[in-house]
Amino acid sequence: MEKLYIHPLPVRLWHWTNALGFLLLIATGLQIRYLDLFQLMPFRTAVVVHNWIGFILIANFFVWLGYYLSSDKIKVYHPELSPKKYFEASFRQIQFYGYGIFRGEPNPHHPSAYKKFNALQSMLYQIIMMLLVPIMFFTGLLLWDVGRFSSIVEMLGGVRVVDTVHVLLFIVFCGFMIVHVYLASLGHTASAHFKAMITGYEEVEDEPAQDGTH
Amino acid sequence: MKRFRALGKTIFSSHPMNLLLGSLLAMVISMTGLAAHAAGGELSKEDQACLSCHDKADQVKKLENGEVLSLSISTKAYVESMHNGTSCEDCHSNIEAKTHSKEKKSIASKRDFSLSMRETCRDCHKKKFTQYDDSVHAALIKAGSKKAPLCSDCHNPHTVLSAKIISPIADTPCAKCHEDIFKAYAKDVHGLERVAKGKSAPLCANCHQAHDVKAASLGSGVKDACISCHKNASELHKDWLPNTDRHFEAISCPACHAPDAQRRVNLRLYDGVEKHQVSEKTGVPQFDRLTVAADAKNMGLDEMALLSLLKEFNRDGAGGKTVLRGRLEVRSGVEAHQLSEKSKALKDCNVCHQAGATPFQSVTLTIAGPDGRPLRHGVQAGVLTSIASVDSVRGFYAIGSTRIKLLDILLVLVVVGALGVPIGHMTVKRLFKGVREKLEAERLAAAQGAGKTAPMAQRRHGDEASK
Repeated sequence: MEKLYIHPLPVRLWHWTNALGFLLLIATGLQIRYLDLFQLMPFRTAVVVHNWIGFILIANFFVWLGYYLSSDKIKVYHPELSPKKYFEASFRQIQFYGYGIFRGEPNPHHPSAYKKFNALQSMLYQIIMMLLVPIMFFTGLLLWDVGRFSSIVEMLGGVRVVDTVHVLLFIVFCGFMIVHVYLASLGHTASAHFKAMITGYEEVEDEPAQDGTH
Repeated sequence: MKRFRALGKTIFSSHPMNLLLGSLLAMVISMTGLAAHAAGGELSKEDQACLSCHDKADQVKKLENGEVLSLSISTKAYVESMHNGTSCEDCHSNIEAKTHSKEKKSIASKRDFSLSMRETCRDCHKKKFTQYDDSVHAALIKAGSKKAPLCSDCHNPHTVLSAKIISPIADTPCAKCHEDIFKAYAKDVHGLERVAKGKSAPLCANCHQAHDVKAASLGSGVKDACISCHKNASELHKDWLPNTDRHFEAISCPACHAPDAQRRVNLRLYDGVEKHQVSEKTGVPQFDRLTVAADAKNMGLDEMALLSLLKEFNRDGAGGKTVLRGRLEVRSGVEAHQLSEKSKALKDCNVCHQAGATPFQSVTLTIAGPDGRPLRHGVQAGVLTSIASVDSVRGFYAIGSTRIKLLDILLVLVVVGALGVPIGHMTVKRLFKGVREKLEAERLAAAQGAGKTAPMAQRRHGDEASK
């Protein structure tokens, strides 16, 4: 097994801050929305904690954005511009998770510092980080102080519309968190990817990666 | 001099033929100065002559409808009143001294007499009269009300005192018609403080205006009145209330400060372009017609009926102009006047922010009626939690209590689906364990045969399989 430095420190700090923050946002969000079902904490506490964590994660988002904009590691997010290559790679990845993995076949994607995402991750994380997360934070900011942003809220169709978008994304992220954790356990050992996200080093097989290592 | 100008004008307008006489009279009075009728309480000879008869207790007149009109005027009260600088003739200019006691004029009723006299008030109180003309009281009179107050119903012209003088709250004229509300006020924090501390606490007119009275449940006039005294209310609430501005906008003050009151959601038809509450068109009433048509079973409008109703209001090219603005408020005027001490006001978020919260079980749709009073129609509570209301009730949302049920179902489906991914995947993986071990053994054997390491063999196998 070869160890490759794939997850730089700023990315790891961002990731775990984000992970913890999202868990707390989900917990406080559930408490805010479902006060009639359970009461782990007072409603007001849940709202205040939710708001603070929201602001911390907005700042954290800019840590992530600032790092990648100022680093050549942004290549990990460069999309595959050839649709044929992209769909073939995606199909291989789907085939692996849906069939090959049951037969003990190796992961067709070989990570490297500049191409750490497989085709599915590459597309999904771009959508999440450049579309869903910003919309989530923006709608959260509007809901934090509806009076202050009343003109924007009105322009977007009203507080109920903004809240519905926020909740729809909350539902998406609830699903994402569950699936994300499970997929992270599908490394060569169940804890391999988790360890890599802590140390920065991903264990890869000795054969040098063919795609994208610089 | 103002008094004399008014007198002259009254004479000119009432008796144009007596222009010369009026001018001469005004000139003579002006030249003789204020000595003829001192504002300090000295009465003119003419006024003294009037009061010599009218300051008697038995002065009454039987009216056509059987009512008895008192003609008695206390000289003492008159001299002490704000009108002590106004002569009798200023208002009663149609009375001829020579024929007054002999001529028997018939008066239909007290109401008719007040109506006939109120224009004389306008001569001096133009600004107040203009405000009154725009009030809900004046609108009711125009609509034919026999009860809506005229000037003299609130202000006895012969005893009227300065507004600066604090009278016992029981003398408040509003109480004559709004008795229940006044009783509630007298026991609430404002009423008790008014009695204890006098003018520092508000009386009716301080919040509702004395003359420009509007329906309290329309617009934001009353809330503005609260904030005009409680100027730091917003700052104080920001110490503990998240989204304070939004709460101030969407909740009436008594909804929390009258803690025992019943609450409801008032969906107001609102002109999103002109930024004011929509009023029923005079002469072309459509609110009742449309709401009754949309609510055939009289169970309250449902979400689809509400949507259709909004479409109707937005016909004729007014697309999107009429929207709904929700407000949480108390259900009655009496409850709006049961304000408690600050320490007893609602601060418990749970009262409103959970499914099934009582305030959101009563919903009403409101438009400003042609007479300035609200017209209402019931709305089903389910409207507030329906996905179909995202657009129609877009301006009103309370976390928890008005959450959209369909999103709850979606959350459960997504979480169950997401949990199903690892469960299903691990199950299949376990089922394939035998196959996997068999293939692994074959790969190992093949690799050993080829003199290569298993991982490399696996890699190639995987690569080939993926092609």
